[in-house]
Parts: sequence; C-alpha cells; structure tokens
Amino acid sequence: MDALTNLLLGFSVALQPVNLFWCFVGVVLGTVVGVLPGLGPAATIAMLLPLTLKMDHTTAIISLAGIFYGARYGGSTTSILLNMPGESSSVATCLDGYQMARNGRAGAALGISAIASFIAGTVGVLGLMLISPPLARFALRFAPPEYFALMVLGLAMVVFLAGDSMVKALLALLIGLWLATIGTDLFTAESRFTFGQAKLLGGIDFIAATVGMFAIGEVLMDLESNSGGEIIKLPRGLKNLMPTWQDLKDCRFAFVNGSLIGFFVGALPGAGATVASFLSYGLEKAVSRHPEKFGTGVIEGVAAPEGANNADAGGALVPLLTLGIPGGNTTAILLGGLILWGYKPGPLLIPEHPELFWGLVASMYVGNVILLVLNLPLVPLFAQILRLPSYVLHPFIIGISVVGVYSVNNSVFDIWMMALFGLLGYLMRKLDFPASALILGLVLGDVLERALRQSLMMSQGDLTILINRPISATMLAIAAGLLLLPAVRWVRAWRAEVVERES
Amino acid sequence: MLPAIRDKSGLIAALCLAAFGGYVTYTGSKLPYVADVGPGSGFFPFWIGTGLLLFSGYQTIVCFSAPRQQSESAEFSWHGSRRALIGWVAMAASIFLYRWIGFAVSFVLLTIFFIVVIERRSALPALGIGVALALIFHLLFVVALGVTLPTGPWGF
Amino acid sequence: MKPLRNFLPVMLIGITILLAQPAASQEFKPSKIIETVVHTGPGGGSDLFARAIAEMLQKEKLISQRMQVVNKSGGGPAVAMAYLAEKRGETHTVGFYTGVWVTNPLTTVEATVTLKDLTPITRLVLEPAVIAVKADSPYKTMKDFIDAAKKNPKQLAQSGGTITSRDNLMRLLLQKTTGAQWNFISFPSGGERLSNLLGGHVQMMVIEPQEAGEQIRAGNLRVIATLTEKRLPSMANVPTIKEQGIDVPLIPQARGMLLPPAASKEVIAYWEGVFDAFVKTPTWKQYVEQNQFEDAYLKGPALNKFIDALKEQMREVLKEAGAKVVR
Repeated sequence: MDALTNLLLGFSVALQPVNLFWCFVGVVLGTVVGVLPGLGPAATIAMLLPLTLKMDHTTAIISLAGIFYGARYGGSTTSILLNMPGESSSVATCLDGYQMARNGRAGAALGISAIASFIAGTVGVLGLMLISPPLARFALRFAPPEYFALMVLGLAMVVFLAGDSMVKALLALLIGLWLATIGTDLFTAESRFTFGQAKLLGGIDFIAATVGMFAIGEVLMDLESNSGGEIIKLPRGLKNLMPTWQDLKDCRFAFVNGSLIGFFVGALPGAGATVASFLSYGLEKAVSRHPEKFGTGVIEGVAAPEGANNADAGGALVPLLTLGIPGGNTTAILLGGLILWGYKPGPLLIPEHPELFWGLVASMYVGNVILLVLNLPLVPLFAQILRLPSYVLHPFIIGISVVGVYSVNNSVFDIWMMALFGLLGYLMRKLDFPASALILGLVLGDVLERALRQSLMMSQGDLTILINRPISATMLAIAAGLLLLPAVRWVRAWRAEVVERES
Repeated sequence: MLPAIRDKSGLIAALCLAAFGGYVTYTGSKLPYVADVGPGSGFFPFWIGTGLLLFSGYQTIVCFSAPRQQSESAEFSWHGSRRALIGWVAMAASIFLYRWIGFAVSFVLLTIFFIVVIERRSALPALGIGVALALIFHLLFVVALGVTLPTGPWGF
Repeated sequence: MKPLRNFLPVMLIGITILLAQPAASQEFKPSKIIETVVHTGPGGGSDLFARAIAEMLQKEKLISQRMQVVNKSGGGPAVAMAYLAEKRGETHTVGFYTGVWVTNPLTTVEATVTLKDLTPITRLVLEPAVIAVKADSPYKTMKDFIDAAKKNPKQLAQSGGTITSRDNLMRLLLQKTTGAQWNFISFPSGGERLSNLLGGHVQMMVIEPQEAGEQIRAGNLRVIATLTEKRLPSMANVPTIKEQGIDVPLIPQARGMLLPPAASKEVIAYWEGVFDAFVKTPTWKQYVEQNQFEDAYLKGPALNKFIDALKEQMREVLKEAGAKVVR
C-alpha cells in the first residue's frame, strides 16, 4: 500500500467526530500541561491511562499522543513570558524568548513559537509517514560512539553560548557536568556526591534545577530594583503582538533547522528533546549573520528550538511504532498504554494494525492545525500577563514554581533544591556566568559520560573506536572545528592588537 | 606590592570555584579511576575537578590584570542584593513551614511578606492578593489536575 | 431481691465481654484512595505491572477503592523504599517490589531500608528470562555463542542494566560455569539495550519473553536458550539452559506486593484476603499466561523464607561478581 492510500485511510479514521473530539481534548490538555512547569505529559498520560480503557483504542492513542505533542506547544509560553521553562525541552526557548519579552516583543515571540511549532510538527508527521522504516534502521546504526560524538557536538555549542567570557562559560559548563554526576553510577552502581542522602541517589531533578535557576533566579534579580510597578513595559502596537512578515522571513532557515534536527534527534532512543532544542539553537547561531545578538532577543533563537522540540515528538514516535522501542519517558508510557490495551508493539504493529498507525498520523496533522488555530489568537491574551505588577507576579511565579516542582516527585526535598538553584542562578547572573552553559552541562553530562564509557567497553579500552566509525568521526570533526573557531578568532584579534600597537 | 584587584567579587567567585574544583578532584580521585574496561566512576569527576581548578585559576589571574574591554556593566553592584537575599530567605522560610502549616497558608504569608515588607505596600490588599493566588493554585492544581500539595493540619 | 443481687456480678461481667467484642473483631476496609508506590517511572516494568493489577482488582470487584500508582524512581528502588519506610503506620499505602529491592540495600550504603523492614505481603509471579541474539547472527544455540566467546575472549558483548542487575549476574554465573568470557555494556533503558542488539553493536542480551516476543515474531531476534527450569510454553522448541548442558543457578526475578513497616494485623489480613481470591480468578490466570510469567503465589512465613534465601543467594553472587557488599 503506498503512502497516499494509507494517508487517506488515516484521514477517514481521524476525521470521525469522536476521534476529532478526543484529539481536541488531548491537544488542549497537552498545551495546559506543557505551560505548567513540572507536571509533564508523561505523568498526565499515566494518570489518564485507566480512563482510556473504556475507549476505542485508536481514539485513545490519538488523544494521548495529542497530549504528547501538545505539551511541546505549551512549554514555550511560560518560557517566554516568565523565564520559566515549562518543559525541559523549553529551556533553550528561554534564552532569547524571555529577552524578546523584556524588549516588549512577547507577542511576536509567542507567535513565532506557535508557527515554528506548526511547521516542525507537520514536518515531523510527514517524516513519520514517509521515512519511518528507513529512519528507524538508520537510527539503529547509532551506537555509543555516535551518541558520544553527538553529545560532544552539543557541548561545542557552549562556544556559541559563551558571550563575552569563554572561561566563565566553561566553568559554568563544568559545574553542570559535575551536577550530572551526582547520583548512582550506572555502570558500577557506586554512589557519587550523594552526601549520604538517599534522595540524591537518582541525581538532581532536572526540573527543580532549571525552574530554580531560571524562574526563581529571575525573581531574585527583579527584587533588586525597587521598580514596584510593571516588570516590563509593554509597548502597544500590533508589531509587538504578532510576528511581522520580516520576522517570518528571518526565520526561514530556523524553521528548516528546527524541523530536521528535532526529527532526527527524536528518532534516536535515549537522546531527548532537550538535546534537540539546544543543538538546533546552536546551529542557528552558528549560521547566523549576527551571532553576537543571540541571547539578547533574536527571533530565530526562539523559532529554532521551538521547532526542534515539536519535530522531536514526531521523531520519537518513529522507533516506537516501527520497532516497539520507546525513545524516552513519554513514549515509554505510550508503549505501556498500547500494551495495556492488548497490542503488541513491535515491527509488526503497523502492518497488522494499519488503521491505528495511519489514523494516528492523520490525527497529528489535524492536531497540529488545531494547536495553531488555538494558540495564535491566544497570544495577545497571554502577553497581558506581563501587565501584572511585579508584587503580584513575584509570588505568582514562586507559587507556580513550587507547585510545579513538587508535582514531579511529591518531594519537599526537590523544592529545597529549587530554592538552592534559585540562589545559584541569581549569583551566576550577578557574576556574569551564563546559566545556559550550566544547564547544557547538566543535560548532556549524563549521556556524554555514559556514551564514552560504553564506547570504551565496546572497544575494550581502545579510543580509536570514536574515529574509526564514519558517523561519529564526522560529528567529532565538526565539533573540533567549532571549538577551534574562537581560538582562531582570538589569535586573529591578538595579532591585530599587536599590529595596532606597533603602528 | 600586590597588583590592584580589579574585580573583587569576581575574585571571590574564582577562589570559591577553585576550592570547589579541589574538592571535586579530591573526591573523584578517591573513586575508582578505571573499571574493568574503560574509565571508572572516578574518571569524570576527577577531570571535571581538574578543569574547574585550571579555569578558576585563570579567572583569578584575570581579576588582577588590566581589564581588556570591560563595559560599564562589569561594575557588579551589590546594591540591590540585600532586597533579593531577603526575598530568598523569606521564600526558604516559607518552604520550611510547609510541614507545619501546609502550602496554602504558607504561600499567603509569603505573599504578604513580599508585598508588605519588600514592596512597602499596605497589608489588606496584600492579604487579598495572597488569598486570591492561593485559591487559584488550589483550584487549578489540586482540584482540576489532581496534584497533591503539602498540607497542614487543616487539610489544605 | 436476693436472686437478682447474685446475678449482678455475672451480668456485669457479661456486659463487659459483650462491649469488648466489637473492638477485637474490627476489620480493615480501605476508605480512600490507595497510594501504590513503584520504583520505576511511568511506563516502566513495575509501573505497568502495578497498573495492570490495579485494573484487574477493580474489574473483579475485589477492592472498593481506587489504587493510584505513584512513581518514586531514583537509585534503583532506594527512593521508593525510603518513601515507604516513612509511611509507617499508614493504612492506605502499598508498594510493589521486585528482586532488586533485595539486592539494592546489599550494595548501596545510602539504601538503609531493606525489604524485611517493610511488610511483605505476597509474592505474585516469577519473571523468566531468555537469552536472545540477532536473527541473522551465526549463533543458533547457546553452545555456539559460548564457543565463539571462548575463541575470541572479551570480544563479544552483552547489553544489560547495571553490574548488579540480573543480566550481569547471570552473565557472571555463566562465565564461571563455562569458562568463556565476554563483555557487558550497561544501558539505562530496555529500549536502548534492544536497539543496540538489533543494530549489531552487541551480540547477545538477557531479555524477558514478552519483550522479545514481538521481535521474534517479526523475525528480528532469535532465542537460543531460556533461563528457566522448564521450557516456556510459548517457545516450546527452545531448550532451557540446563538442557543444553550448562548447569547454572537461576536467579528468579520475583514480583510481589508489600506494605509500609509495622503494618497492623487487620490490614495484613485484608490484603492477604484480597490476593488469596485474586490469584484464583481467570482474569489473573489469563494475565499471567499472556505475559509469560510463572504463577508463584506465596505469602506469610513461606514468603519470608523465600526472601531470606534470595538475600543470601544474592549476597553470594554479588561477592563473586566483585561488587562491594555493604550489608
């Protein structure tokens, strides 16, 4: 059966009123869940699983998948408005998104985020439809050396997050890498840096760290100034409530970048949306004509990561539906749902249940349209939150942060972590250390260390395994190039200085 | 004579990081450096610590040297920090109180503190805002989404 | 009058006895949502197991309240066990455990709560494991793999969990029994272990039959031995490891249910009653068959004996594996 026939079959399933309704419910719920920090799509889907047992299975998966990719749309809202990442994949959006909001362009940021998400989501569904089997087979070729090279490439992005001081960025990165080592070592089952606390055996909770550093840190910074009134002056005018045509033109590459990187990285089991969004952000900055402006509120800096985390949802479904392998937490629970309903996810799932797969794919098109239509008009509405006076906004942010962090593990210990990271984030801002570098280290550190040790286990200690394999060698070469760039620039600047002094 | 310290807070930060780097390197060296094959659990911490030491050492030196192209914003002013830190202590205190009086009441108290003490506004609207926010949170999270929050002896 | 006055003490005693009765025969019945603690995240093995059981119990109307699964993951089972220990005396909290709840406290200093500190109620199933290789690999029997490993020591690799997981412990026992040597590469999730096997980066893995089932059906995997006493009904033509001449002790992966420490007699009796009835239902039997478990219901003193024996066996195996045993 060729793709078009299948797709028509899929639409005939997806456009049935009951499936449309539950798709709508799913994406709206996903958006809400994505906006609120802490409560993630995985936990929400888990909570709703018992309810789905009474539904038709195709309807159920349409709805649950809607929560999954809907959450990626929602995650950008608080990131842009309050510097509070709703999802771990929205952290990269905070970098330029929040700055755009501070510059009065919150509406444009929210709008471009919705548009980028729509484009990337659609690309993701197209990819899922057309190249799932070959992509899944390609993803299987990714062994630990390739994962290591991918992580190194991600870390090389630090080069692009550096700002003025490379050394400070590296220090922040190292702190992040250290934070990633806290907990039980996967290989030897030894505990590292747990200070005797059983609660740290699982490592630092990522949401507590990011919400603390970004949201609480921001509140603390704001407290310094005695403004008393609005945090951000919101200029009037449609230009700031919606992205302009110029904005859309500027983001042409970002749309492509986010979609492709998100989709491919999403298809790799174990690599997450967070990695995808940072890689996409870094790539966007690398090819930009004005890289130094990133971090001050550049619209492509919002479009790229937002697109990436949406395309990632489509990509994550590739190994799940073609091989029965879950790529991450949320897909694992979707797999659980399929098993609970009596399906056997594996390579034979699609041929044996085409209406399930194609119905889902078609519903994702529909879902993406619903989300775009829903989100765009709400943008000016959401932007009004910033009109609240700071003395209301501060407790509000603290409240949401606490509830969000607590909802992950029901643990007050996590809230303390959040508070400590808030202080750390504040200090880092004061001393001009880039917080994003620390987060990058925290996110990538785990996988980086694991991948290196796994690679060396595979090769019996031989480091050349990393360059013997074509894919990993290529990625490492690119990373090396990226890391050498600032060195080259520094040498050139130094030489120019010398020349100047002598003349 | 000691060279002039250009950046005092930066220097303290660099020294703290150096001490931290030393701690990490030391702890990392106590863990096994090599496992059966490949690096052990001490490998990464050891090198992270070493990197921290190296770079914070470099930073320390930078703090003594002449500024290259430091803009005005490099003048780190700690002027408003007092307010920020008071806010943080208040937040920490409210977290501490969750066990005894639950999230809702503690949050109302925190809001009142923020508005009355830090922003110097009147108490009654502060109470109103605090209760309103707490109510919104309760309705949104506990009732609608079924999330549990730390509760005090009175059940919320 | 005289006869009535003689009766008075007897009446008083009688009334006292009557009043005392209700207190002694007070039964426990849950009256609110039952918090069900598991140590994996949503979608993990224990999470799905607990959800399935919760659903089946409700379907069979054996419990009147909803069981809500609460995920407490981190450090293997350590965070979940510590959480349950804090819930001492709570009547509406239960947990689902696996074999790792016994081994983890043996190797991790911070894991101060052991399985016997909590109140084990039942053992429900034993989960078998099989040895799987890629379908197009040259190994058709376990002997093929062992021979290849002997010819190329430390060249072949197996994917699995941590070094204290069942996967690795089985590997060490097999290595000791056969004299062959091969590598072990840890991956945190089952998905990654499987994808590395399918990608040809490792040559073999220990896997649960229901995970392998679909891959076998699709022709991607081949099972070369089952780590069970008897052949599995769904893989009737695959010999067990013992049938192939490799006499290695088997490590059972047990799954069961427990309560927080110092649970009262009434609560214990309630849950024992629930599960006594549950394991007789056709729903349960169908579930066990579909998931290729071994129905292994134990409770009370027999359960405690099993846990003690498992702990000792694990301690021995771990020491041989070179893991640091701290308890």
